[in-house]
Amino acid sequence: MRQREESELLRWRSSFIGYVITAALLVLFFGFWNHQIVKSTYYAERAEQNRVRDITLLAPRGRIYDRYRRVLADNRPSYNIVLIRESSPHTLEQTAAMLSPGVGISIEDLLERINRRRRDPKFRPIVLKEDVSVADIAFVKAHRYELPEISVEVQPRRRYLGIEMGAHVLGYVGEVTEAELISPEFLDYKPGDQVGKAGLERQYNSVLRGKDGFKRIIVNNFGREMGKLLEEPSIAGNDLFTTLDLDLQRAAEDLIGERTGAAVALDPRTGEVLAMVSKPSFDPNLFATRISVADWGNLISDARKPLQNRVIQNHYSPGSVFKVFMAASGLEADVLNPLQTVFCPGYASFYGHTFACWKKGGHGTVGLHEAIVNSCNVFFYNVGKELGIDRISKYATTMGLGRKTGVDLPSEDAGLIPSSEWKQRVFKTAWYPGETISVSIGQGAVSVTPMQAAWAMGGMASGGRLKQPHLVNPEEIKKIGFNARELRSEQYQMHESTVDTVGRAMWGVVNEAGGTGARARIDGFDVAGKTGTAQVIGKQAQAKGDEFEDHAWFVGFAPYRNPEIVVAVFIENGGHGGEAAAPVAHAILETYYKKKLGEFDGDLLTKIAQASENKKVKN
Amino acid sequence: MAGPIASKRLWQDFDWLLFGAALLLCFTSLIEIYSSTMHEQSENYFLRQLAWVILGVVFVFVIAALDYHVLSEHIPFLYVLALIALVYTLALGRSVSGSKSWVALGPVTIQPSEIIKMVVVVALARYLSELRESAYMTPVQILKASAICLLPMGLVALQPDTGTALTYLPILAVGLFIRGLRPTALIGLILAFVLVLPVSWYFLKDYQKERILTFLEPERDPLGRGYQVMQSKIAIGSGGLLGKGLFNGTQNQLGFLPTRHTDFIFSVVGEELGFVGVSITLGLLAFIIFRSIYNAQTARDNLGLFIAMGVVGIYFFHVMENVGMVIGFMPTTGIPLPFLSYGGSSVLTAFIALGLVISVRRRRYVN
Repeated sequence: MRQREESELLRWRSSFIGYVITAALLVLFFGFWNHQIVKSTYYAERAEQNRVRDITLLAPRGRIYDRYRRVLADNRPSYNIVLIRESSPHTLEQTAAMLSPGVGISIEDLLERINRRRRDPKFRPIVLKEDVSVADIAFVKAHRYELPEISVEVQPRRRYLGIEMGAHVLGYVGEVTEAELISPEFLDYKPGDQVGKAGLERQYNSVLRGKDGFKRIIVNNFGREMGKLLEEPSIAGNDLFTTLDLDLQRAAEDLIGERTGAAVALDPRTGEVLAMVSKPSFDPNLFATRISVADWGNLISDARKPLQNRVIQNHYSPGSVFKVFMAASGLEADVLNPLQTVFCPGYASFYGHTFACWKKGGHGTVGLHEAIVNSCNVFFYNVGKELGIDRISKYATTMGLGRKTGVDLPSEDAGLIPSSEWKQRVFKTAWYPGETISVSIGQGAVSVTPMQAAWAMGGMASGGRLKQPHLVNPEEIKKIGFNARELRSEQYQMHESTVDTVGRAMWGVVNEAGGTGARARIDGFDVAGKTGTAQVIGKQAQAKGDEFEDHAWFVGFAPYRNPEIVVAVFIENGGHGGEAAAPVAHAILETYYKKKLGEFDGDLLTKIAQASENKKVKN
Repeated sequence: MAGPIASKRLWQDFDWLLFGAALLLCFTSLIEIYSSTMHEQSENYFLRQLAWVILGVVFVFVIAALDYHVLSEHIPFLYVLALIALVYTLALGRSVSGSKSWVALGPVTIQPSEIIKMVVVVALARYLSELRESAYMTPVQILKASAICLLPMGLVALQPDTGTALTYLPILAVGLFIRGLRPTALIGLILAFVLVLPVSWYFLKDYQKERILTFLEPERDPLGRGYQVMQSKIAIGSGGLLGKGLFNGTQNQLGFLPTRHTDFIFSVVGEELGFVGVSITLGLLAFIIFRSIYNAQTARDNLGLFIAMGVVGIYFFHVMENVGMVIGFMPTTGIPLPFLSYGGSSVLTAFIALGLVISVRRRRYVN
């Protein structure tokens, strides 16, 4: 009996275990209910996020061409190593530690890069290394199982074919900055996007920029594409056709060489910029990839400021070049007539001060024509004294100096044409008449950009017609559906006789015996011009070496009647304008003339450019 | 099944319901193993599993035909053999992810620690059924009973295979509880085994869990523990009521689920067959457990009861741990789900256990 009771007890305990198991299974059952019924929508979304990945198809920027459709900037494919946090089984630290030895970037740097983008959505790739080598790609492919969150992405990357050529005009691109992202202009940009940072790239960023596409794909746990759900292809940016002539650009760059300076060539009839050179230059390709700290440091610490576009962003004393504008102003104001003469003993006294002529012995008796050809200071001191500063200011401003030309590039400098009002406003003192004497020969407070010098000279030579300088015709931009401002055209009053007199004298500068601009002379192409030699500091500093050497100017146009091309050349610390600057102008004008005659045989670079262009057309 | 062990009675008293439930689970298992490995070229998991299931079925009939009293008579010999096998495994076994728990047996490798659990079940059942003195076990008896279980368990833990070693505990726990413990010892055991382990786990902070698990098995799961369970929960949750359909589970097919044909097979069931499939599968497992309890209670003697309840303990522990793991209620350990997970040792063990329970049932009316 006892045994029987014990058996009952064992059976009862077995039942008890059954109850415990029932309870436990109910808990499990409840768990599945909770996951599959209550939270199933949430988990379905998570499964979809796992499975589906959106990949940005980066749009290539539009290409930039010269006036003959030779490519100045295009794109090349490149590869980036990216992190997609969403698909990561690791902590960021683990990922960085595993990736670091393979790509040669320190763990700290990798984490820094990730951290900068930490607020991005998790599915958006974070670029860890740009424009990687084949070895880097191989490393990523070989470790795709250990590092499923790391992949390689294709990105079209900017390529400037002329390397340093035209760097300032073209500008460069770079990653959009955080500051830019919050400005309304970059409303539809996201971190990591490429934007134009300078030059045409900046000015026409919205035209050049394409529209990124995207691809929604199905991926497996290693991130490998298993299928495609949706694709919206990227749309390439619009090509930009500039007015630049690669041949003129090349001629100017070659002739300036390693010197510091600027050159610009315009067509005064239309305002088209044919060439624009600033030296020293830089390689904009460096920016196409994230520029290295070392390269950036070199560029910004270089005392010669290679990033600055000296054609429009720097202003300089025009020196004797200003005499041409003084002559025209004097004639127009009727304080000067072409037959009037002045005796130059090598100096002159005004208001109790003695002002020297550059020629110690003096020019003797000079008329307007000789005064321009020989660049006599004393003659123009007198013109300045007669005109007074405010009339000088008024005429010079009308002629296009001391104000922005409106060229389609960012950050143009206005230069400066002083006036008594300006002196009062800025220095709160009256204008000293003595200062007018200095201004008469382009010294003192007056300063112009090389672009202004060319523009104003071209305008005057064309009888007072100022066409807004431009690299891209707004009509071309409108054609592809963008807003563009009409080109500005000005016409100021200028007597034909004035144009003729001054133009003739400038022809003399280049073509007459003893003219200071003889080196710009081209047989058959009536070049007119004016040299300038602007003092750097005081005369006393002149002996102290290259840094205090005078700045050299040459501004000229051709042919001297109804000019087709106007050129301004400026060489910093170049010495005499006739020696340092005129040969550069000569090279540009000669190239232009030869092309016009059909005698230009081109050069290697041009041929390469043409060949690459032909290939593209065929493609 | 000809010969002396085959008889008309075998077929009449055979627990067809129990066996049928197991076969249905195997059917589900084969389909989902096929589904989860259909893109793998290297090995045909489906055919291998099918072979193991067929072998398992053979074992069911052989063991069901055997009188469990005969087994019990020879159990000291089998027990010693088992210990030798474990020592052999420890010395010469194959190392898989850091544990020496496998031995090569001709063309296949098996995990002796799985199958030896059945030896422990019978050995402990025999010891406990032979105690007759009182309602409660004496401390010495508890120690002796524990030694029977803990000796092989210790050898498994040394491999080191903590997960599998833990699956020995429910045999002892169930045996001791049923045989009779004083309330103090009973409460302590219940708390430790049923409540403390899983529930305390549930209340631990994540980093504490991580520490404990990393401590227990540092080599396991190099891709991060949270990732596996998260993917499993996503798979199950996204299955919804009706599931995504066979072969349509994205988590499964695209490889987001870890070890999906073995430890996480139930996630595949959850994703592709939904809550309905889960309920049916879990229901079948519950049926096997409750049917085994019923068979234990209707056993002819205490030996039969202890054997069947030992099997119940093992089945339950595996189900609770494995199914709990795939929805994050339990820590991730490599404990297979009986009849469902891919793997020969697991399938064989589950069928041997089934054979034992059927053997017990068959002899309920004897005498």
